[in-house]
Amino acid sequence: MMKALNRRQFISCSCGAAYLAVAGSAGAALWPFNKEDRQDGADDIRGTIFKGDAPEKLWKWHKEGFSYVRLKNSRVMCKICPNRCTLSPGDRSVCRSKVNMDGTLYSLAYGNPCSVNIDPVEKKPLYHFKPQTLAFSIATTGCSFRCLNCQNWEISQAKPHEVDHYDLFPAKVVEEAEKAKAASIAYTYSEATTYYEYMIDTARLAREAGIANIWVSNGYINTPPLLELCKVLDAANVNLKSYNDAIYRKLNGGRLHPILNTFKTMHEQGVHFEMTNLVVPGYVDDPEMLKKMCGWILENLGPDYPLHFLRFYPLYKLSRLAPTPLSTLESFRAIAMEEGIHYAYVGNIPGHPGSNTYCHNCKKLLIKRVGYTLPIMNIKEGRCTFCDTVIPGVWD
Amino acid sequence: MNDNRAVERLVIATGVSSVVTQLLLLREFLSQFQGNEFTLSLIFFSWLLLGGIGTWLARLVRRFHCVSLLGLVVFSLLLALISPFEILAIRYLRDILFIPGVAVGFYPTLACIFFITLPCGLLVGFVLPYSLYVLRSREPMYPGARLYMLDNIGDVCGGALFSFILIRFVSPLQASFLASSVLLLSAFYAVPSEKRYKSVCLLPTIIVLVVLLCTLALEKHSLQPFEGNLVYYRESRYGRVTVHGEKEQFTLFIDGVPLYSSQNRQQAEEIIHYPLSQLDSPRSVLLIGAQSGVMQELEKYKLAKTDYLELDPQVTLVQFRYKLLTRIPGLNVIHQDGRLFLSQTDNKYDAIILNLPEPNTFQINRFYTATFFFLVSRHLRPGGIFSFTVNGYDNYLARPQQEKISSLYKTVSQYFKELLVLPGGTVCFLGSDSQLDPDIPALLAEKDIPTQYISNLFYGNVTLMRQDYLKEKLLPDIRINSDTSPFLLSVMFRQWFSRFSSSPTPFYVISGLLLIVYLARSRLEECVLFSTGFVTMGSESLVILVYQIFFGYVYEQIGLLVTVFLLGLLPGARIGEYLRFKNRNIMWLIRLDVLLVVSLTLFLFVLVYKPLVLQPAVLLGFGFLLSTLCGCQFPLALSLGGNDNSAAVRTFSADLIGAAYGTLVTTLILVPFFGIIWAVAALLSLKLCNVLLLVCSGMQFPKKLVKG
Repeated sequence: MMKALNRRQFISCSCGAAYLAVAGSAGAALWPFNKEDRQDGADDIRGTIFKGDAPEKLWKWHKEGFSYVRLKNSRVMCKICPNRCTLSPGDRSVCRSKVNMDGTLYSLAYGNPCSVNIDPVEKKPLYHFKPQTLAFSIATTGCSFRCLNCQNWEISQAKPHEVDHYDLFPAKVVEEAEKAKAASIAYTYSEATTYYEYMIDTARLAREAGIANIWVSNGYINTPPLLELCKVLDAANVNLKSYNDAIYRKLNGGRLHPILNTFKTMHEQGVHFEMTNLVVPGYVDDPEMLKKMCGWILENLGPDYPLHFLRFYPLYKLSRLAPTPLSTLESFRAIAMEEGIHYAYVGNIPGHPGSNTYCHNCKKLLIKRVGYTLPIMNIKEGRCTFCDTVIPGVWD
Repeated sequence: MNDNRAVERLVIATGVSSVVTQLLLLREFLSQFQGNEFTLSLIFFSWLLLGGIGTWLARLVRRFHCVSLLGLVVFSLLLALISPFEILAIRYLRDILFIPGVAVGFYPTLACIFFITLPCGLLVGFVLPYSLYVLRSREPMYPGARLYMLDNIGDVCGGALFSFILIRFVSPLQASFLASSVLLLSAFYAVPSEKRYKSVCLLPTIIVLVVLLCTLALEKHSLQPFEGNLVYYRESRYGRVTVHGEKEQFTLFIDGVPLYSSQNRQQAEEIIHYPLSQLDSPRSVLLIGAQSGVMQELEKYKLAKTDYLELDPQVTLVQFRYKLLTRIPGLNVIHQDGRLFLSQTDNKYDAIILNLPEPNTFQINRFYTATFFFLVSRHLRPGGIFSFTVNGYDNYLARPQQEKISSLYKTVSQYFKELLVLPGGTVCFLGSDSQLDPDIPALLAEKDIPTQYISNLFYGNVTLMRQDYLKEKLLPDIRINSDTSPFLLSVMFRQWFSRFSSSPTPFYVISGLLLIVYLARSRLEECVLFSTGFVTMGSESLVILVYQIFFGYVYEQIGLLVTVFLLGLLPGARIGEYLRFKNRNIMWLIRLDVLLVVSLTLFLFVLVYKPLVLQPAVLLGFGFLLSTLCGCQFPLALSLGGNDNSAAVRTFSADLIGAAYGTLVTTLILVPFFGIIWAVAALLSLKLCNVLLLVCSGMQFPKKLVKG
């Protein structure tokens, strides 16, 4: 027979239980596999889906997903990005933009950009695409990654309803871009792949209106949706954050291989793209890794796609590292060019000569870049004015 | 009796060692984790709570009859041994448990603080009542209050030793070694004089001493950065100053956060040219804090005088040594608190440029309040300009940032006719009584001043569209940020949590539940001491804040304030002991509580109506009075519980747990969210409730306790 507890024993037990709860919760905080906070102390910070986090009702800014499969028990699997989120009814995707509502996948990021700006195209950065034109730039919330140094974490790591947003459906975006005399529309800032439906619908209308489309992305996308996107894409800047899968998992919460596939697909589809490599000290500043990366680029993509080395500044959670030394970026540029990359640049450093373009054939200065202005321009009809070599890019 | 003397010395040594260890761990956590009030409060909270639990656990030992002097010596040796290892654990585990270079969120920080301080915190709490058991095993009537006093003497000595000597002359592991050595020697001295015991204890003592000596070799190794080299390291009074060198770049880190790098041209240009381009021919500039590269930019204006204010001499030393700053003609470096300087000087300047970190601590928030902006406006020449920058946004202004920028805009606009806010990764505020022009590149071109960033990137980054966006986003109905109601702190705390997608609510709920359970099982005298510990620690935190707000961050004076608080406990305990023998203890407790209430009411009145009365001596006196009253209550509350071992343990615990909650609630909830005045009012109300409780419960006590 169970012995009855007296008041004192009961309180002592309660105290002990509560103490264990505190100690347990503190211990759980250190456990590396917590859902959204697991970057602290783990080697893999990839995101997880948000169980039961979908809204009760759809809002005005929704669209049925363009690429998903229906599974048993009303579950769905999104096929846009390699996360391949499998969602039960009421669940939200890793990127925070997609939800399963009664067995149908919806995007909640459609026509509701939270950031709208008109930027110089060089800011993307795109140095070989319609220089000195403006890009009408939009972003909704969401990202498939969890980068520790995200520059736009307030929107990339937010859900659509958590931010103030504009009411700008695709036709209106094109109209506004025309009004602003923008040569292109850039899908940028957060991760454009997470608002794929909004992006591709807008891009189709923009193409009809003679406005170019720019995709600024982490490149984490499956091949079929990318092939569809490439039909309306004019240029892209895709991050190649490192050439090491472990670092991708540790700093970004993604995988390397799908991104390499993205580059190959864009190359095959003839889309102009430029690559960006943020040189994070201690993680991405290994010259040997760079050489391997250049080797892969040369073998699979050729030497003509521009490669930008950007300076790291302490940001977001990765806030206890020093910025990248200038000489590291300079040496990276030199290594890349020695390896055979024709156009390597340094970025995030105002006025640095490493942001100028030199002809890969005659080595003469083609474009001098001073910030967003180009005081010297020696490319005519896509060719070097000195040696008539074709300079890769879109120069009209 | 002689043995008791040795044990008493050991109690004092434990006090010295525990306070030094606590302060060292505090600085270490602030350096390795996050230097904000949350971390600070969590450390105090964990330490005091663990101390309370350790004290409570001591009862178990009593139950199993394993009290001996030799046991106390062993526990003391253990305590001496683990202190430096806790420091090393913080340093080494940081990069093992977390990704190097990453900031750590609230719950992982809490977990680390809790588990790393657990051995030391529990042992410190445990050793004090254990000492009492040992003393009473030899002298059954040994008074608990005397032990409390001895512990306080140790605390005072430890606090003073650390604040005025160790911090200046030795590194953390050296300080830990010295404090542990004192404990070690006292422990060995306390070993029973029989030869057999002495010889048995000699070897472990020597081993511990050797191990402690070995830890000294790990000082620099344990501080090596993840990337680059540690080229400079000093513990200044204000924090840890390190310089990391990587290739040709030097980066100054304060408490683990990179502040200035030798290759950061963009920020230097923004900080200097945004304000100075607005002036026709500036002659004198006051810099409060300085980003690297600013002197080269200032030089372009050929100023007659540049006063550069920096609180920490160690910071300017490395800034000039590693060429983060260069000496320019007319430069005058002043090592003083910026607010203190402005309140004492009659100098007027063409421009005052504030270049400090974000207002995420009480100490820094003082530079972003209405009072400070008023002070600045009084030191500008006609047409002069004031500028400061805060972290901004790239493409979207999220809610906490929006509130921060809006509150600053509203606060600073009270003192300047013209106010211009320029958006960007850092948002720049410019205030003046003359017209301001946002076209900075054009102004610089007129003056023929060359720049790299502004001339070439300004128009692409600070577009009119972005400027309009920021203006539209400014919230009109936002609170201003004032000294006594630091609204920005609550915003910064929220921003910190949102960065880690977490919330403090679960922590508050669990802590609150624990407290309810604890209070439900507490006796009246424990409640009294709990509330006294709570109110005293809360009030003392407030006095330190008020002191900093009014008189600047002056290290020695803050140290003095803390020492005075600890010192006040001694006469308090003495008086309490005296009153205890007069009986009528419950009446005295009520009287003392009433005195506390009156003191807090007076403080509140002066704070609201006559803040100028709060001179340093008054604040010191007030702090002393508070701790004296607190010290006074301890022996009385102890006697209410019967003055036996178990009662002593319970009252020790109550005091510590009350102090833990007092720190937490005052610093993290009351002040940031309700302001200092409401915080004092809340503490006052708590004590009033306590008086009522005492009055209502008075009848339940034996008559002699009530009437004598």
